[in-house]
Amino acid sequence: MATKAASSGRRRQRQSLHDGFLRHRNFFWLKVATIISLVVIVAYMLIDVTPRPNGGSWYGYTLGTVGAGLILWLTLLGARKRRMNPGVWSLKAWTSAHVYLGLSLIVIGTLHTGFQFGWNVHTLAYVLMMFVILSGIWGIVAYATLPSALSANRDEMTQGQMLDALRSLDRQLHDAAQPLNREQAQWVQSSLNEDPFGGNIWRRLTGYYPNSPTMIAHQEFRELTAFSPDLGNSPLEKVDSLLERKRVTLQLLRRHLRIKAMLEVWLYIHIPATFALIAALTAHIVSVFFYW
Amino acid sequence: MAFIIRQISYTADGREIVRPKSVEKRMIVLGRSADSDIHLPDLNIAPEHARLDRLDDRRVRVVASGGLDFEIDGRPTSRTEVDVTKGAELGFGGHLLTFSREMGDIVIAVRRVEALSDASEEKNEAEVFSLSKVLPSRRIMAWGGVVAILLAFLIVPIISHAFASKDDRKIDQVIGDKSWSSGKLSQAHHQLEGNCEACHQQAFVSVRDSACVSCHTSVHDHAPANRMGPARRDPGLGGAVLAGFAKFFGKEGEGSCVSCHTEHEGAGAMQPTAQAFCVDCHGTLDERLINTKLQNASDFGTDHPQFRPAVMVTPGVHPTFQRVSLDNRPQDNSGLKFPHKLHLSGTNGVARMVQTMRGEFGWGNALVCKDCHTPTPDGVRFQPVSMEKNCQMCHSLGFEQIGGTLRTLRHGEPKQVIADIRAYYRSTGPVRPDFSGMARRRPGDYTQAQTQATFAMAAANRPGTADAAIRAVFSQGGACFDCHQVTPPRAGADWGIVPVKQTMRYMQKGWFSHDPHRTETCQSCHKADASNSSTDLLLPGIAVCRDCHLGEASNSDVPSSCALCHSYHADDGAPWTTRDRVARGKPGTNTAAGGRSTGSK
Repeated sequence: MATKAASSGRRRQRQSLHDGFLRHRNFFWLKVATIISLVVIVAYMLIDVTPRPNGGSWYGYTLGTVGAGLILWLTLLGARKRRMNPGVWSLKAWTSAHVYLGLSLIVIGTLHTGFQFGWNVHTLAYVLMMFVILSGIWGIVAYATLPSALSANRDEMTQGQMLDALRSLDRQLHDAAQPLNREQAQWVQSSLNEDPFGGNIWRRLTGYYPNSPTMIAHQEFRELTAFSPDLGNSPLEKVDSLLERKRVTLQLLRRHLRIKAMLEVWLYIHIPATFALIAALTAHIVSVFFYW
Repeated sequence: MAFIIRQISYTADGREIVRPKSVEKRMIVLGRSADSDIHLPDLNIAPEHARLDRLDDRRVRVVASGGLDFEIDGRPTSRTEVDVTKGAELGFGGHLLTFSREMGDIVIAVRRVEALSDASEEKNEAEVFSLSKVLPSRRIMAWGGVVAILLAFLIVPIISHAFASKDDRKIDQVIGDKSWSSGKLSQAHHQLEGNCEACHQQAFVSVRDSACVSCHTSVHDHAPANRMGPARRDPGLGGAVLAGFAKFFGKEGEGSCVSCHTEHEGAGAMQPTAQAFCVDCHGTLDERLINTKLQNASDFGTDHPQFRPAVMVTPGVHPTFQRVSLDNRPQDNSGLKFPHKLHLSGTNGVARMVQTMRGEFGWGNALVCKDCHTPTPDGVRFQPVSMEKNCQMCHSLGFEQIGGTLRTLRHGEPKQVIADIRAYYRSTGPVRPDFSGMARRRPGDYTQAQTQATFAMAAANRPGTADAAIRAVFSQGGACFDCHQVTPPRAGADWGIVPVKQTMRYMQKGWFSHDPHRTETCQSCHKADASNSSTDLLLPGIAVCRDCHLGEASNSDVPSSCALCHSYHADDGAPWTTRDRVARGKPGTNTAAGGRSTGSK
């Protein structure tokens, strides 16, 4: 009986090791962030600031100071991530706190504004902050949902294997196209010349590649082969089949690229916007005291 | 003399494999087709792409025969001659041909230089599968953003501020500081929008009172500083935090203009002062300012002392006033005798007289308030009642008629009255008896002689009767005494009248305007028809006001904050909020904030 309990306890411990940063310590930081947000909101309601709530009241200063400190600490995750020693808090604990305290910054920052917005450096800092937070939320959603989509898509192939499959198809296409006339050979060649990793960020994120040369080449060959019987000796049939396989493989690869892009793109907003935010925050604070 | 064709290819680890082939022909064919002498499996090459014609032992002519060009040393062409001893490089699709001569043979080295397909090219897997080639690097974006924001919103304004001219006639010199404005200025300061330096005169120095009073020259303090200081309530935790911030960053602190008048709160009028702002000090003022004469007040509806008008205790040239609570039924002695009840009655002699004169003066069947009391042009108060306009149509001072002209005693000048009466008695004789015609008299000479003797005596004594007449005028029953307090003659002074001073404003500390109260009848506040004495102070108490007015947060007809009647920087005029509200209701009036109302609000 005792051994059973002990072993089940160990199992629980092992399971908890697999908890992600979101569930870390049974949502400890979620609770902390919720309490902070509630306290801040209730205080905002109770404290009567005249003539109207704004960042220059005592409560506004308090929220502003807390918010600015929080922003700097949240930024330090980048430094903590690069430090390889275990530290007092694990990276997971740190990330968990980063996520939930970062979310509470929505409340702290917004109430610091007192809902006064305008075309100025102060609102710029706020907008950048919200931009950073929203991109972070996107990142979390991406981390929570996309990896399963990624593995479902790639059909148990690694990235290298996908590329090798393409290369193999290209080699076969190249060989199979040798007997073709010049126009047909050019279609195949345009497919061979197609960069599977080409396209701008928009194509990457949407996975929408109109006028893909491989697709066009395949359509051309399909028109040639559609109405003639496949007797097994036509190079056109072989090229058609190879192009079809290439199309499928290319689709797989590009879906993979799309999911990976969605996993990554938030960081391209999150990080630069964070630094822009710190710059705007500096301008915000200095300007307030410059024209004090 | 042959073409030696060397097909060169590479193994995966980069080792070179050379496959030589000798062709004993004068002319060879290059193409994709498998029976070509130089067979290039390259889809960019036509089945028969070019012919190579040996002209002699060192020259080869190359002619494109399939309609597609080739490249000689990187330039496209359709035919060329190559001197093999000098060497040349010909490009066909993804292949390169180089020429040389070995022991009389022409050697053509063929190698594939381009990858078979784009995918077949060498790829850095970590790079191509990520976004690093599609987006600019995060580091560049981050630093770019930092530099751009700091430059636009910090460095440019600061440098511009540092080099701004010290000539304060030039306004708005600092570039880029508009982005620092946390909100629009209020309506009153709208003309300063963009001219930040008008108030923010020095860097890192808070807005000083001196900046405000450079325009607001007539503003004065609410109370002397030595009274204000102790009167303030303990600021509490929040206030202490704010004061800490203010002190740390060098603000002027409590009592400065900006501690109450916050700007950049958005366009439009400044917000009226909240009741709580006053109550902070006045709610419990006596706890801190123990010798204050002011009573505590925190809410008009629930906690406000009874009004204490300044009433005239003794009338005269130098009247004395005293503030007395209305609860103590104060008497206001203006020096005038005037029973309101008598004059407002609808049944007595006054009413009868009014009825006889109504055609001339536009009265009704009895006097009403407005027959004597005329509002001031602003509607706030009433003009003083005057003898000439309001009294003498009934209370005539006439004493003699000459021709059609009635001679009157001069009102307001008792010495002149005395002189006029004396002059009257000196210049006129008694009524002369008529001995001619049909005037009735007792017959006989005795009677005539007696009448003459009486007249002669009266004429002789005539001036002496003036003193009696004067006494009569100033004494009970006389014209003056009816309405005025009379000072009897003393050594060196003749009869006199105590000057009448009509108080225009009883409550100097608070504001009351009759104008917005026109919807009420006079009697609903002033019980004049029950007053038998002019010393009755007919002001209504606070309870009457509370019929309609209760505190700021009340649900009364007129929720009234302190600022409705009181002003922080009080002057003789209406409180700031009231002035502003009235101005907004009347088109073309100057608002308290200084702007001109359009009346559209």
